[in-house]
Amino acid sequence: MKRPIALALVSTSALAVAACGGSSSSTPTTASAPGGTVASASTPAGSGGASLNTGNPSSPVTLNESGSSLLFPYLQVLASPLQAAYSNITLAPTAGGSGKGISDATAGTTQLGGSDAYLSPGQMAANSSLMNIPIVISSQAVDYNLAGVTTPLKLTGNVLAGMYQGKITKWNDPAIAALNPGVTLPSTTIVPVRRVDSSGDTFIFTSFLSKTNPAWSSGPGFGTTVTWPAASGELTANGNPGMVQTCKATPGCIAYIGISSQAAAQSAGLGEAMLQNQAGQYVTPTQANVTSAVNSGVSSVPANLAAPLIYEPGATSYPIVNFEYLVVKSTQPDANTAKAIRTFLAFAIDPSTGSTSANLAKEQFVALPSSVIPKVQAAIAKIGP
Amino acid sequence: MIRTSGGDRSAKLVLSAAAMIPAAALGFVVFEMVKEAYPAIVFNGARFFTTKTFTIGNLYGTGVEVRHGYKAAQGATFGILPLVFGTLVSSLIALVLAVPVSVLGAILLVERIPRRLQAPLGVFLELLAGVPSVVFGLWGVYTFGPFVARDLYRYISDLHIPWLTGAVGSGQGLLTSSLVLAIMVVPIVAATTRELIHSVPVLTKEGATALGLTPLESVRVVTIPFIRTGIIAAALLGWGRALGETIAVLLISGNFLNAYPKSIFSSFSTMASTIAALLDGALTDATGMAVHALAELGLVLLVITLLTNLAGRLVARRLRGPGLPVGRGV
Repeated sequence: MKRPIALALVSTSALAVAACGGSSSSTPTTASAPGGTVASASTPAGSGGASLNTGNPSSPVTLNESGSSLLFPYLQVLASPLQAAYSNITLAPTAGGSGKGISDATAGTTQLGGSDAYLSPGQMAANSSLMNIPIVISSQAVDYNLAGVTTPLKLTGNVLAGMYQGKITKWNDPAIAALNPGVTLPSTTIVPVRRVDSSGDTFIFTSFLSKTNPAWSSGPGFGTTVTWPAASGELTANGNPGMVQTCKATPGCIAYIGISSQAAAQSAGLGEAMLQNQAGQYVTPTQANVTSAVNSGVSSVPANLAAPLIYEPGATSYPIVNFEYLVVKSTQPDANTAKAIRTFLAFAIDPSTGSTSANLAKEQFVALPSSVIPKVQAAIAKIGP
Repeated sequence: MIRTSGGDRSAKLVLSAAAMIPAAALGFVVFEMVKEAYPAIVFNGARFFTTKTFTIGNLYGTGVEVRHGYKAAQGATFGILPLVFGTLVSSLIALVLAVPVSVLGAILLVERIPRRLQAPLGVFLELLAGVPSVVFGLWGVYTFGPFVARDLYRYISDLHIPWLTGAVGSGQGLLTSSLVLAIMVVPIVAATTRELIHSVPVLTKEGATALGLTPLESVRVVTIPFIRTGIIAAALLGWGRALGETIAVLLISGNFLNAYPKSIFSSFSTMASTIAALLDGALTDATGMAVHALAELGLVLLVITLLTNLAGRLVARRLRGPGLPVGRGV
């Protein structure tokens, strides 16, 4: 749990302190940080960054970003420590949805496109200079509203698919009871809740169902919007806050909710399911379990970083985990912009500067583990004029 | 002949430019939409109007669908029948509920309510017209929908009238959307009708009273015939609003694609709400066909709106006969 803080304290070089001085008030050393005095600007932030050629660009560069509404608040958090560390880089994030992020970055309207989902083979074939750079890890909880059930329920992807197909309709269905021996389940009707808007959360949830239920895989499949089967009484909601609100108001609901809204879900009294992973264990989306999933999946992450971190092997791996990406073009109009982008991305993935536990805390994201950072750095290094 | 000054001439120029703008804007929108929709029109052909499944396909699949030289994502198919059905039925139910309420309400407001109360009550009508549709949507999905499902729909459903019976859920669906649309349409129709009633000549009304007609008879014989073409125009305005309403319907409809609603309580989807729901995902389609198909859907919605408007005008023209017993154009 404490790993990112520990790392931040270990690497308390003047540079690292200056870099995170902008936001992390919880780090005691920041008080002494010489704010903004990054004299050795060409020194890269983070290990192995020498080849990345990072540093303060020679003239001011504004990096415009649009896209994922999940990533947006996190980028807002990063903007001020980034500028404190590199005075010539201004990060200007906006929301709008992952699809808009990708299409804006493809069209060149923005330099960075935030996306919860990785680029499809078709998109990469159509735009060979597009890259997706993961900067942080998100995950998703499955929540339910069942008054009186206090032990966390154990669920599998297969059973969840049954619920969303309208085949498992009561909470005391034998399929659920078999997973939860000793738990008294009510006969409440299951009300599946799904997102009405295009969503990265729908993408990773339906990916999980596709990997665990053959009928789902060959039927609705996965995507940011899918053709949902008709499940009697199902509800729709707009955004993660809408999912929390709808589930709170609906006894018997089942809902997939991004980790950034999980605090709100818990204070709304929703239960958080333990999900069965590939190894057959039941796990919750703790920081350790999410990191474990990435570490288990890293060997299968290709060089282009387009990888689902869904249903990874490993006894402690949480099954619904995803990279949050920034889509960038490897070819930039000028060297200064390219340098600014490389610098920002290196800053963002470094647990001592961008992805500090203080910066991550608000959205409950998890920093990229050291196992995957070399692959990401190799991708960042390709960005040039 | 009156000599035109320079000021008159420039005023004429400005005014004719201003008059051109709406026409130019409509022309530009139609042109852009046809351009954007063209690949989809070729790809879909007639099946756009004859099939029920609208899916942008598997964007992460390896294959593509190729038809008439245009590519779409694997498994993509675009059929809009249930969406056309949802759009027309929800807006018509809304209209059927809203028009009588609005007209009767406006008559009551003008003819029966004391003059000093008219202005404050009129303000409420105008405030209702100004409520953003997203507010109606959120209210509909979190407050109104669950309320009518619990306290109204159950009893309707228990009557077991075909298509008016079935699982009522928590209120997301066709009937709640229609009710909320009706509430959104009421201020438009009522405010217009109120102005129409004010335009009924006082002399005619006094004549009716002098002839010994009761107030009710006066409304039936004088006011309504005088304003009925205007009411149709007002209803058309309201229908246009209901047809194109996006965010409120998106939030309340249950956003269910690819099948007709099983009952009036079922989830459904309209053309406008589907465009809003699918656009972000469609933007990630590398073939671009998903966005083209949504543009075609938008174009069809535009055509439907124009057609309903024209149809309404035809009806209004036929009704325009000798409306008043004492002649019109007073």
